[in-house]
Amino acid sequence: MKAFEVVHPGVHSTVHDLGRPGFMKYGIPVSGVADQFSSRAGNLLVGNTPGAAILEIALFRLELLALNELVIAVTGGNLSPTVNGNPLPMWQAFSLKKGDRVAFRTRKQGLRAYLAVQGGFSSQKFLGSRSVFVRGLMGNVLKAGEVLETESSVIKSSPLKKLPRELIPNFPAKNSLRVILGPQEDRFSQKGIETFLSSEYRVSPQADRMGYRLHGPTIEHLRGADIISEPIARGAIQVPGDGLPILLLWDAPVSGGYTKIANVISADLDWVAQVMPGDSLRFKAVTIQEAHQALQEERARFEQAQRVIEEQG
Amino acid sequence: MPEWPKIRPSGDCAVLVEFENRIDPQINRSVRSLALAIEIERIPGIQEVLPAYRALMITYVPFEIEYQLLLEKIEFCMERARTIDPPPGRFFRLPTVYGSAHGPDLQRVSEIVHLSPEGVIRIFSETRFMVYFIGFICGLAYLGGLPEILRVPRLATPRTLVPGGSVGLAGGQANAIATDQPSGFNYIGRTFVSLYNPHVLPPVPFAAGDEIQFVPVSEEEALRARGQRAEDFL
Repeated sequence: MKAFEVVHPGVHSTVHDLGRPGFMKYGIPVSGVADQFSSRAGNLLVGNTPGAAILEIALFRLELLALNELVIAVTGGNLSPTVNGNPLPMWQAFSLKKGDRVAFRTRKQGLRAYLAVQGGFSSQKFLGSRSVFVRGLMGNVLKAGEVLETESSVIKSSPLKKLPRELIPNFPAKNSLRVILGPQEDRFSQKGIETFLSSEYRVSPQADRMGYRLHGPTIEHLRGADIISEPIARGAIQVPGDGLPILLLWDAPVSGGYTKIANVISADLDWVAQVMPGDSLRFKAVTIQEAHQALQEERARFEQAQRVIEEQG
Repeated sequence: MPEWPKIRPSGDCAVLVEFENRIDPQINRSVRSLALAIEIERIPGIQEVLPAYRALMITYVPFEIEYQLLLEKIEFCMERARTIDPPPGRFFRLPTVYGSAHGPDLQRVSEIVHLSPEGVIRIFSETRFMVYFIGFICGLAYLGGLPEILRVPRLATPRTLVPGGSVGLAGGQANAIATDQPSGFNYIGRTFVSLYNPHVLPPVPFAAGDEIQFVPVSEEEALRARGQRAEDFL
């Protein structure tokens, strides 16, 4: 079923699901939604499975025209969503009529908003996933005039669900990211590690789904910045010869030849998705056990949201 | 305890198993043996096994496998791997047009190594390159076996866009890039054979252990291979 016509594509709007794990050995990153809690909750609010294809909207100016009666939910960063010029409430299901216009005007908090539609978006799958990865020739960013379709045409007449305020994440402008040191922490001087863990780093304008370049005090290496190229995990913090860290994210290369000082823990990656160029970051070292504990807590938080949403009918 | 292999965490959802720190076919075989041993074992909770030059990354789901158990399973597989031989690779002979617009760095490379352009083409095209692993972005084959005489530095300023199929060298390594990408390698030729296709499985024709020769042909013949599968040139 036709869902939307793209009136204005915005800065960077792409369709994603949970990505395509299993193809890194062919040089293909996993991709997928950047902020998992927001996107999964959005899908649940409209009655989809958590991993249904959803629209990820980075920054503002996206404008969509509803081509049918739809149930949507907008979650994630607050980009001032409106419907026909009136504020569109976030974190709850909302009915659109044919001809309604949904727009994202200005950024208030966070960076990436999610628009879930009942039925899920039905764009083309590549290697089992609808996650757009332009450099890999798998889909494209939204373009003006493009029509977005949904998988099913049945509108479920269930009550419009809502996530209670206390379960809505807030995206603070300043925070410290937890990291696990390594795998090449021994290629940095003691001073270099101290610089990394005690300084404030600012996200540069070179920040996208591949990675964020950070500005701040340079980190001292011990024996140069180059290593024999090896695979890179999501959240890795690479430090090339100039000593400035690069945080590697959802669409990052799967291998590279620079030393990695640390890796952001998985539980903090949703928050990274909502960080803007100009925002400041600090890093705090934790153990693997602490990282896994944090991930359990993240999961519990999502499961609680899931229970609350499902109890609404 | 021998120094290698060594297991290191790489974040909270991956570990890296490192072998001796150099690029060497024998070390790479050990990496691939371990990758096979882990894949054969089908350990619940392990998601992907990524062999590289001298390291192997294993991604896992922390909810499905306890970290200590993961390490024990990998150590068990290290033992197993000693008796596992990676399968022999295939040998691809890819039609390649050298020089002119398809190999903009041929002249410069020949000046650096003090050979004629024809001499560079001859040495490069007679080499059977070994695929050590596939990585970077979308099917980039990391190749080994470049003769020492063709050692040239990377470009001081990387190109913002190099067309897919370009064949190049830098820092003692060679590569064939599968899709249009920025790169600091010196490109001396191009093959039009399809090296990446996200519509098929597997999306990349090569695997670690395969060998590739870039056979010099005319531009006309190179273009005839446009869109053909690399498997047609075994």
